[in-house]
Amino acid sequence: MSLETLLLYFFATAALAGGVLMLVARHPMRVALALISSMVSLAGIYAILGVHVIAVFQVLIYVGAVMVFMVYVIMLLDVRDPSFLERYGRALVPSVAIAGVLAAALGAAVSRGRIATAADLALVQPEGAPASFGVQPFSIEFLGHYWLHFELTSVLLLAAVVAAIAVIKAGRRHDG
Amino acid sequence: MTMNLLTLIVLLPLAGFVLNGLAGNRLGKGFVSVVGCGLPIVAFMATVRAFLELQATGGSALVETAYTWATVGDFRFEVAFYFDRLSALMTLIVTGVGSLIHIYSTGYMKDDASYARYFAYLNLFLFFMLLLVLGRSLLVCFVGWEGVGLASYLLIGFWFEDPAKAAAGKKAFITNRVGDAGFLLGMFLIFHALGTLDFDAVNAAFNAPVAPAVSASLVGLLLFIGATGKSAQIPLHVWLPDAMAGPTPVSALIHAATMVTAGIYLVARLNGLYLHAPEASHVMAIVGLATAFFAATIAVVQTDIKKVLAYSTISQLGFMFLALGVGAYGVAVFHLYTHAFFKACLFLGAGSVIHAMSGEQDIRKMGGLARKIPVTFVTFAVATAAIAGIPPLAGFFSKDEILWFAFASERGGSPLLWIVASFTALMTAFYMFRLLMLTFLTPSRMDEKTAHHVHESPFSMTGVLIVLAVLSAIGGFFHVYHFLEPVMPMPAEDEALEHLKLPLIIFAVVTGLTGLAAAVYVYGKGLARAERLQQRFAGLHRLLSGKYHVDELYEAVLGRPLHWISERVFLDLGDRALIDGTLHGLTGLAQRAAGRLSRVETGNLQFYVLLAALGVVASLAWMWGHG
Amino acid sequence: MDRTQLLLTLSIALFALGLVGVMIRRNALVMLMCMELMLNGVILSLVTFAERTATVSGAVLVFLVFVVAAAEIAIAIPIVLLLARQRHTLDVGAWSGLKG
Repeated sequence: MSLETLLLYFFATAALAGGVLMLVARHPMRVALALISSMVSLAGIYAILGVHVIAVFQVLIYVGAVMVFMVYVIMLLDVRDPSFLERYGRALVPSVAIAGVLAAALGAAVSRGRIATAADLALVQPEGAPASFGVQPFSIEFLGHYWLHFELTSVLLLAAVVAAIAVIKAGRRHDG
Repeated sequence: MTMNLLTLIVLLPLAGFVLNGLAGNRLGKGFVSVVGCGLPIVAFMATVRAFLELQATGGSALVETAYTWATVGDFRFEVAFYFDRLSALMTLIVTGVGSLIHIYSTGYMKDDASYARYFAYLNLFLFFMLLLVLGRSLLVCFVGWEGVGLASYLLIGFWFEDPAKAAAGKKAFITNRVGDAGFLLGMFLIFHALGTLDFDAVNAAFNAPVAPAVSASLVGLLLFIGATGKSAQIPLHVWLPDAMAGPTPVSALIHAATMVTAGIYLVARLNGLYLHAPEASHVMAIVGLATAFFAATIAVVQTDIKKVLAYSTISQLGFMFLALGVGAYGVAVFHLYTHAFFKACLFLGAGSVIHAMSGEQDIRKMGGLARKIPVTFVTFAVATAAIAGIPPLAGFFSKDEILWFAFASERGGSPLLWIVASFTALMTAFYMFRLLMLTFLTPSRMDEKTAHHVHESPFSMTGVLIVLAVLSAIGGFFHVYHFLEPVMPMPAEDEALEHLKLPLIIFAVVTGLTGLAAAVYVYGKGLARAERLQQRFAGLHRLLSGKYHVDELYEAVLGRPLHWISERVFLDLGDRALIDGTLHGLTGLAQRAAGRLSRVETGNLQFYVLLAALGVVASLAWMWGHG
Repeated sequence: MDRTQLLLTLSIALFALGLVGVMIRRNALVMLMCMELMLNGVILSLVTFAERTATVSGAVLVFLVFVVAAAEIAIAIPIVLLLARQRHTLDVGAWSGLKG
C-alpha cells in the first residue's frame, strides 16, 4: 500500500464524509463548510492524480469564488426559518430509495466494465507525446487548440454579468 | 292523340295543384277558381273523349305507358295507365262529380283566407285519385292510394289552427296506414308468386287453369284489410266520422263519392282473384254487412247533420262490400255510381244548410227550412228519397240488386244476409227521412238571429245541387252492371229462387216506405215524441250515441299502452337512462380520471426532481432488460 | 480495487448524494449546494478519465465546467434571494403555485 494509494483513500473518505454531512447538518453554514471540505478533498485527489492545473482551479474558482459567495449569502439571510426546523421535504424515503437504485445501477455498470489496456488507450490518444498536466504545457495546449471555447466562455461570463444586474434591478423595482 | 290522352287526364289536376299551390296566393281568387275548376273540367272532357274511343274499339282496353320508373333485375316498374270499362266509369265519376264539387267550392269557400291552398289540395287529390283508378299495376294504384290518404289528411285538417281538426286529420291518416300494411303484404305476396303487379296479368293468372302458388284467399284478405282502412269498414271505420271536421265539399268529394270508394274499386278490379277466394269473399260479405248494420244504428241517434251522413256513408259502403262478397262485383260498382250522386248531393246540400244557418250543424236547432231555402230542400229531398230506395230514383235500382244477390247468389247468398240487409235498409230510410224532417219540415227550433240570416246559397252552389239531384233521379236507368259485364261477370243465381225476385222487389219498396212513415210518425211534429222514446230506451240510446264506445276501446287497448311504452320504456329507460346515462357516465369518468391524474402536479419542486430521477432509473432498467 | 474504479465509484456516490440532497432538503440554498456537489462528482469522473487516457481535452472540459458553474451560481443565488424576499422564507415548499 503506497503512500499515494493511502492518501487517495483518505481524501476519498473525506469527500464522502463531507457529502453525507451535507445531508445531515441543520444549519446551512455547516452544510457549506461540509461542502468546502469535500471540494478541498477533491482538489487533493486531483493533485495526487497529477492534474495540478485542475486542482488549483478547483480551489481558486470553486472554493474561492463560488463557496465564498454562498457563505456570504447564508450569513446574509435570516436563520429563523421554517426550513431550519423541518430539514427534510416530504419525499424522504422514496428519494433515498431512487437514488440508491441509481447508484447501484451505475456502480454495477462500472464494476462490470473492463479495465482498459494499453492497446485501448493507444486508440484514444492523439499523436505526439502524452499530455502533461503542468500549468505551462496545459495552457499552451489549451489556448493553442481550444482558444474558441475560451473566447466563448468570456461571452458566457458577460451574459452572466448582465443577467445578474438585470435580476438585481428587477429586485430593486420590486422593492421600491 | 290516343297515346297521351290518359296521361293528360292524370296530369291536368297535377298542373292545377302546382299552379294554385305556388302562385295562387299571389294571383288572386279569380285565377285560382279558373285554374282550379277549369283543369278538372278539361280532364272530364278528355275522359269523355277517351270513353268514346273505348266504345269505338268495342270495349278493349286502352293502355298507355307514361314512363319507366325503375328497372330492377329482370323486372321493370312502369308507370302505365289502363282504361277499360271499369276505369272509364270510375274516371268519369271522379272527374265529373269532382268538377261539380270544385264549382260548388268556389261558392262555399268564397270567404276563406286559404282559398288557393284549398284548391291546390283539391286538385292534388284529384291527381292521386286518377292515378289510383287509371293505374295499370298495383304499384301505381298504391301510389295513388297513399296520395289520396295524404290529400285527405291535408284537407280534413284544412283549418289546422283548431287542434281538434288537426287531430282528426291525423286520425284519418294513421288509421289508413294500419290498413295499408295489409295492402302492402298482399302486394308482396302477389309479386312473389306471380312476378308482376299489373292488374290484367294478375286476373289472368288467377283465372288460368293452373292456380298460382299462393293462396288467393290470403291475398284477398290482406288486400281487403287495406280496403277496410280506406273504405271505413269495421274495425278501421273510426276515422270517417271525425273527418267531418273538414270543409263540407271535401266531405262530399273525398268521403262520399270518391276516396272511400277506392276499396270497392280495388276489389272489383281484382275480381279475377276474388272469384277464386271464397273464404275471403265470405269474410268480406260479413264484415260489410256488419258494418252496414252497425253504422245505421248509430246514424239513428246522431244530432250533427254531417255525422248522420258520415255514418250513412259507412253503412252504404258496407252494402257495397256485401255485394262484392257475394260475387256481384258489377252491382257493387253500380251502387258506388249511384251513391256518388246522391251522397254528394246530400253532403253538398248539408253544406248549403250550414251556410244558410251561419255555421250551425246541430239538427236539433234547425227546422222549418223548407220554405226558406227551397232549392236546397228539394234537392235534398230527392237525394234522400234516392238513398232510401224509393223507385224510380237511382238508389232503388242499385240497392235492390244488392239485396237480390245477397239473397240469391250462388257465391254465398243466403236468407240471413238478406234479412239483416233489409233491416239495415229500413233503418237507412228511417234515419234519412228523420234528417230531412228535422232539418226542413218540422216547426222551427232556430233562434231569432240565425233565423233572420237564413238565405239561399249562391248559384255556384245550388246549380251543382240541381245537377246532382237530377243525376240521382235518372242515374239508375243506366244499368252499370250490364255495361261492366264483359269485365266483371255476374254471379250465378240460384235458379230455384228465381220466382221470388218480384216479391223481393216489392218488399224492398215497402221497407223504404215503412222507414219514411216511421220517421214521419216519430219526428213529424218535432222532437217531443223522440225525446219520450229516448227516455224509455235510455241505455240503448247511450250505447248508440257513444258509437258503441269503439274509440274509447281503442284508446284503452292501443292508445294508452303505446303511450306508456313510449314514456316509460323508450323515454325513461332508453333515452334518459341508457343514452344520457352513457354520455354522462363517460364524461363523469373522464372528469374523475383527470382529477385523479392531476394529483401528480403537486407544485412541489422536489417532487418533480424525484419524478425525473424515477424516469432515469426506469429507462436504465429498460435498457438493462433489453440490453 | 483499481484506482480508476475507486474514483469512479466515488464519483457516482457523490452524484447520488447530491441527488438525494436536492430531493430531500428543504432549504433553497442547501439545495443549490447539493447541486454543486453533483457537479463535483461529475467533474471528478471527467478528471479521472482525462488522466487515465492522458488527453488534455477532458481537463479543458473541466475548466469550462468551472466557468459555467461560476456563472450559474452567480445567477441562481440572486434569484433565490428575490424569491426568499417575496415569501419571507427560504423553504422550497412555500412555492407551490402550480399545484393541480
